Amino acid sequence: MRTLERVDRWVCLAVRGGLLLLPAISRAAVEPESGLGLPRDVSKNGHLVDWLMNITNVFNIILFIIMCVWMGYACLRYNRHHEAEYDHGSARRSVIIALALSAFIFAVVDGTLFVNAISDLDSEVWNYEKVARDPRTVRLEINAHQWSWDTRYAGTDKKFNNEDDVLTWNDIKVPVNTPIYVQLTSTDVIHSFYLPNFRTKMDAVPGQVNRMWFEAKQTGDFDIGCAQHCGTHHYKMKAQLTVLSPEDYRAWLAEASANAKRAYDPEDKVAHWGWEWKEFY
Amino acid sequence: MEAASHAAGAHGEPTSFIRRYLFSTDHKVIAKQFLWAGLVFLAVGGTLAMMIRWQWAFPGRPVPVLGALLHRSGGVITPATYQSIFTMHGLIMIFFAITPVMIGCFGNFTIPLMIGAQDMAFPKLNMLSFWTFVISLVLITASFFVQLGTAAAGWTTYPPLSTTVGTPGAGQTLVVLAIFVTGAATIMGAINYVTTVIRLRAPGMTYMRMPLTVWGLWLTAILNVLFVPVLGAAALLLTLDRAFGTQFFIAGAAGVKGGGDPILFQHLFWIFGHPEVYILILPAWGFISDIIPFFARKPAYWYRGQVLAMCAVTVLSAVVYGHHMFLTGMNPLLGKGFMTLTLIISVPAEILFLNWLHTLWKGSNRFSSPMLFALGTVFVFGLGGLTGLYLGTIATDLYLHDTMWVVGHFHLTMAAAAFLGSFAAIYFWFPKMFGRTMNEPLAKAHFWISVVFINLVFCGQLVAGFSGQQRRLYDPYQYTFLQHLLPLNRWTSYFAFALAAGQLLFVYNFLRSVFAGAKAEQNPWEIGTLEWTMAPSPPPHGNYWPIPTVLRGPHEFANPEVKKALGRDWIGQAEELPSTAASPARTPAASGK
Repeated sequence: MRTLERVDRWVCLAVRGGLLLLPAISRAAVEPESGLGLPRDVSKNGHLVDWLMNITNVFNIILFIIMCVWMGYACLRYNRHHEAEYDHGSARRSVIIALALSAFIFAVVDGTLFVNAISDLDSEVWNYEKVARDPRTVRLEINAHQWSWDTRYAGTDKKFNNEDDVLTWNDIKVPVNTPIYVQLTSTDVIHSFYLPNFRTKMDAVPGQVNRMWFEAKQTGDFDIGCAQHCGTHHYKMKAQLTVLSPEDYRAWLAEASANAKRAYDPEDKVAHWGWEWKEFY
Repeated sequence: MEAASHAAGAHGEPTSFIRRYLFSTDHKVIAKQFLWAGLVFLAVGGTLAMMIRWQWAFPGRPVPVLGALLHRSGGVITPATYQSIFTMHGLIMIFFAITPVMIGCFGNFTIPLMIGAQDMAFPKLNMLSFWTFVISLVLITASFFVQLGTAAAGWTTYPPLSTTVGTPGAGQTLVVLAIFVTGAATIMGAINYVTTVIRLRAPGMTYMRMPLTVWGLWLTAILNVLFVPVLGAAALLLTLDRAFGTQFFIAGAAGVKGGGDPILFQHLFWIFGHPEVYILILPAWGFISDIIPFFARKPAYWYRGQVLAMCAVTVLSAVVYGHHMFLTGMNPLLGKGFMTLTLIISVPAEILFLNWLHTLWKGSNRFSSPMLFALGTVFVFGLGGLTGLYLGTIATDLYLHDTMWVVGHFHLTMAAAAFLGSFAAIYFWFPKMFGRTMNEPLAKAHFWISVVFINLVFCGQLVAGFSGQQRRLYDPYQYTFLQHLLPLNRWTSYFAFALAAGQLLFVYNFLRSVFAGAKAEQNPWEIGTLEWTMAPSPPPHGNYWPIPTVLRGPHEFANPEVKKALGRDWIGQAEELPSTAASPARTPAASGK
């Protein structure tokens, strides 16, 4: 079954490659990850998330060791042969110890997480204003449905929902070192657009347009997944993200946009799912 | 603190089989009914979990043994069956296994006994609660046999997937109805618990002398009364959407021009759903907060702090629910607010945790099976709490949301902790409940197998999630970036199978002990709470006559005065000290503050 699928995919790729007449862009398959732990980070912001994750690991390992040592020592040392101390732990000193320890752990661990998370969100992860103002930003509209990802590029005229829009299916091409500003919705159930190598995801909800952004720091092919249970074939709702050099991307977009304009069919209402870009910052 | 003695109490024990065992109003019988129902459905939910684990270890291969249930597909789990399996695993475990065992059984059994009441405040409502619950069990069971199978939209039943747009079968409707009905049963029980604790405490049983078990269950009941109606509302609106063509939760989906909002359901669901995770863990906190001092032979460390921390968690549980919705496109300011509140809830949790550790310190710890399970609960809850930090923080949640990390985290906190906590309670109260003794070596073997494998299973899930694996994938290896996780998932499945096999020890021990266990003494654990000191095992219909007068808190261990007067390290809550009969250790007035 798997070989069949692979053949199927290569046929698809070959056909698409042929249509686009761009043999220069090789469509290598996604490289598998190795070892347990975080997948490769290929995004500009991923290191922020990874750093926060790792510092939490460090805190947790310390707290976990303290817990194990405390429980283990208490169980071994104060077993049935030890006479229990008559202590309700409600003396002022005991209460202060309990409160101070809790406050200390909270201040250090939660404090670190809170301060860094807020700063990451404000400066990068949720800073849409910066992305919207960046002249390099590439804008994408994504329409999720059972069970695939439709993507719309504004084409050369930079306006959405007209005849030169490029439409792709489970295949998203973006330029490297460029902010990619995504707006997404769904036409049936809730999906979630998940980029494991970019440490981010966002729900696609019918009836509303959500947004997210990411920026690749290297070229290559990466998995796009659906993270929200969306029905029987949720597990197959995957797409491929291809990060191209800016030149390759420009060449591909120009070609694809010209093709799209030639093949435009005003009667094909199904293909006109796009919306006017909402800059909202 | 007046003691309202209950009219239906001490006399008038019914003699007919039906009134005594089937439609009984005796809280102890209803407790056992909930226990049996809960354990049966725990087995069902566990079996479904094993099928999920099989699929992740050997995708697409026929399931051994259980494959007979899937004869139409030749024993293979299909994608459609798979989504029903994980949906029903979650729903059954939460609403039909943990809830009846922890709240239905031990809420019913311990609250009246531990506060010195003769029964619940509303015994008939109590009976009605159980039989309403049975109706929901019938609905759930029926859903498996209708066309297109049972519910498949995940236990969270997010619309539009859970509307007819995504799951057209009658099974989903039956399951949503079952949730509504079981919610009604829960509310009846909860009203009873809340009222019983407020009105029927024995004289001298002040709030600050209640066993922490009762505190945990009482706060649980308060959360249930407040938030299950919200779930009921959501389930009802969803039923209307499914059966009567309304569009509360449908917007722009599949050719429908609904004006509704799918996110509205998530708000309704999680404002119930987050308190629900505390509903499932608060009783366990209560059990172990009592069991640890009981077996450490030492007073609970900072009892008042423990009570306040549980109250704080109860209040905060209602205002942190937004962390389930960080990715729904919520306003960033709202998201940050929920993140702040979520991080704050770790403070009372730390206080609880430190108090348990402090209670162990300088105790005289006895490792009987209830104590072992209580320590296991502390351990898994510790792990579960720490792994939650990544999810409460938005920046890291963006990566880990909807991955196996979430699955591992909530299984450690509310599945493993509730599971081990329930077993602590079962082993602890079994002698009082059935008047018989369980086999202790088997109980200890059951503990070690359970605690080792339950940690391996859920830590395996955490590692898979950290590596990026989404939850609820029929075949995760469709994704290139997950293909290397097959050995990890396979090992996790082996651990899960071992965990399940280990439960046979419990099944054997439980059944043998119920019918043929050695007769239990009145107070085998030598502790001071009312049910062990003032009532035989099992307690008679009506529990106490006359109602005892409570003189002190539940954890009066290692008191030197008691040792001098009685020669033992414990004293009953209602037991007078002989030498100081005129001035008991603490008079009701002194500690009623």
